[in-house]
Amino acid sequence: MNEAVAIVLGVIGADCHAVGNKIIDNVLTREGFRVVNLGVMVSQDEFIDAAIETGARAILVSSIYGHGEIDCDGLRGRCIERGLADIVLYVGGNLVVGKRDFVEVEAQFREMGFNRVFSPSADIEEVARLLREDFHAGVPA
Amino acid sequence: MKLLSIDIGSTWTKGALFEIGQGSLKCGVRCAVPTTVDDLARGFFAVAENLAGGTIVDQVREGRLELAYSSSAKGGLAVAALGLVPEVTLETAKLAAYSAGARLTQVLSYRLTRSDIEELQRNPPDILLFAGGTDGGNTDYVLANAQALSASSIDCAIVYAGNRSVADEVGDLLRGKNFLSVANVLPDMSNPNPDPARSAIRGVFLEQIVKGKGLDTIVEATGAQPLPTPYAMFEYAKAIREHVNGWEEFVLLDMGGATTDVYSAHEENPAPGTVLRSLPEPVVKRTVEGDLGMRVSAVSAAQAAAPLLPAMGLDASDAETLAAYAARVTLAPDTLPPNAEEKRLDSLLAGACVTQACIRHAGRASMVYTPDGDVRVQTGRDLSAVPRVIGSGGWLARAGQFKPSAWLSQFRIDEKRRAVLMPGRFEYWRDEAYLFPLLANAARLHPRAAALAGIGALTRSE
Repeated sequence: MNEAVAIVLGVIGADCHAVGNKIIDNVLTREGFRVVNLGVMVSQDEFIDAAIETGARAILVSSIYGHGEIDCDGLRGRCIERGLADIVLYVGGNLVVGKRDFVEVEAQFREMGFNRVFSPSADIEEVARLLREDFHAGVPA
Repeated sequence: MKLLSIDIGSTWTKGALFEIGQGSLKCGVRCAVPTTVDDLARGFFAVAENLAGGTIVDQVREGRLELAYSSSAKGGLAVAALGLVPEVTLETAKLAAYSAGARLTQVLSYRLTRSDIEELQRNPPDILLFAGGTDGGNTDYVLANAQALSASSIDCAIVYAGNRSVADEVGDLLRGKNFLSVANVLPDMSNPNPDPARSAIRGVFLEQIVKGKGLDTIVEATGAQPLPTPYAMFEYAKAIREHVNGWEEFVLLDMGGATTDVYSAHEENPAPGTVLRSLPEPVVKRTVEGDLGMRVSAVSAAQAAAPLLPAMGLDASDAETLAAYAARVTLAPDTLPPNAEEKRLDSLLAGACVTQACIRHAGRASMVYTPDGDVRVQTGRDLSAVPRVIGSGGWLARAGQFKPSAWLSQFRIDEKRRAVLMPGRFEYWRDEAYLFPLLANAARLHPRAAALAGIGALTRSE
């Protein structure tokens, strides 16, 4: 029986960038998480369906193709509607089109209800550390 | 050596005596009597003795006559499926129940409400298949549902096939109930595991339901055990796929008075450039449409037909005529259409049943335009290139003029503008002698010979 904490991972929307997704899966699995990897082109409801069934404590959303703003908007609300009000939401990748200051992008996605926002150069081991910290704190930021 | 195969249906008890040769089966005499609902054994033995020319019990007991039989009488095998998320564990539980030959009476998800429990108490299924949560996954809903069931007066068999982490707690809560726990139907999100639940349902059928339906006297007399007819058909579809060259991929339509069953044998190998979403499906899949049938379910079938008629060149007045005809034949399920107009209406009903059942069984695909080019996103199975379709069940067996492709070819796009991945161009083969249910029984003992005999007996209709 695997008692590791489950986290749901996937690339949202019409985005089919598969390589980074596999790397994140690999690193976080090695870090001791039970990674439920939904792969590419995942809808908001698919993330939530998987999180409910697997009892996941976090959903990690990747977006690489620049449409993250549209794809991610409303995910927190949908989680609340479907009974996952307290789930930890992370998002990372090339979240917006064009060159915009990351601080601005981070603020925008936090406003949408994501607990943490990562740039394309984020260190996945650092993400693992933050996950543990957030789970330990028990309360989403 | 001879094999006696009998299928106890809801209206007819049918049988045939097969001659067992070297790797072959030959159908000899056949016989049918109305099913004796008050005592299924009476009709069974009437058919058996008529075919064997005398009493069969000693011959079967002494191994001089092989016996294989199935039953779908008295409502068949009624299962209620309970899962957590409708598209996830409930969907897996439904497929497991269908593969076990069940008819679904209720489908329930998330937390059982008081009305859900009351409905289960009012219309109890034979078996409640209780799923929810992957292993190590959600426990809240599962435990809440176990508590709700525990506090209820539900006394049907409960098969638990949910999150293993709380299987013991669920067992404790349901102590005193008719309870059985098996491996999870969905241990993780990418590996459905329907077989343990399927075996458990079959076991409960043999140990408990056979008696409730009055089949136990046949078991006691002959020592042979029955199967639910669709369970035997499911195994038969697997046998055809395994043993008959060129029949690795096919769709089998089994349309009756009450339901339309679709079986497909298909291995999913998505082409490059296709992204496959949704849970993986089994190679052989069965779905059952309880609202699509030629007699008992004719009224709902006529409703399902109405939106299809315009594309078939028919208008609103045809829909009204069809609805009126459906209302009439539902009241008299034995009706055979005497005149040309009624035959035409039966054809329309059949076309609608086949079409809607295939639409619901098949997967979907749509093109998504991404910044990196077009991507084809597929959910469910792609049966569009399946080369052969078989028609069985009373009406399809007889209907020499019926062309399913004329229907299926008209409904390739659904209301969300996705491609419906059901068979498009195919050979249509008819089970003209209506041997499939009887051969499905024979296949339990002689899978290869029965598979070859069934395919050999088909008539090419299209």
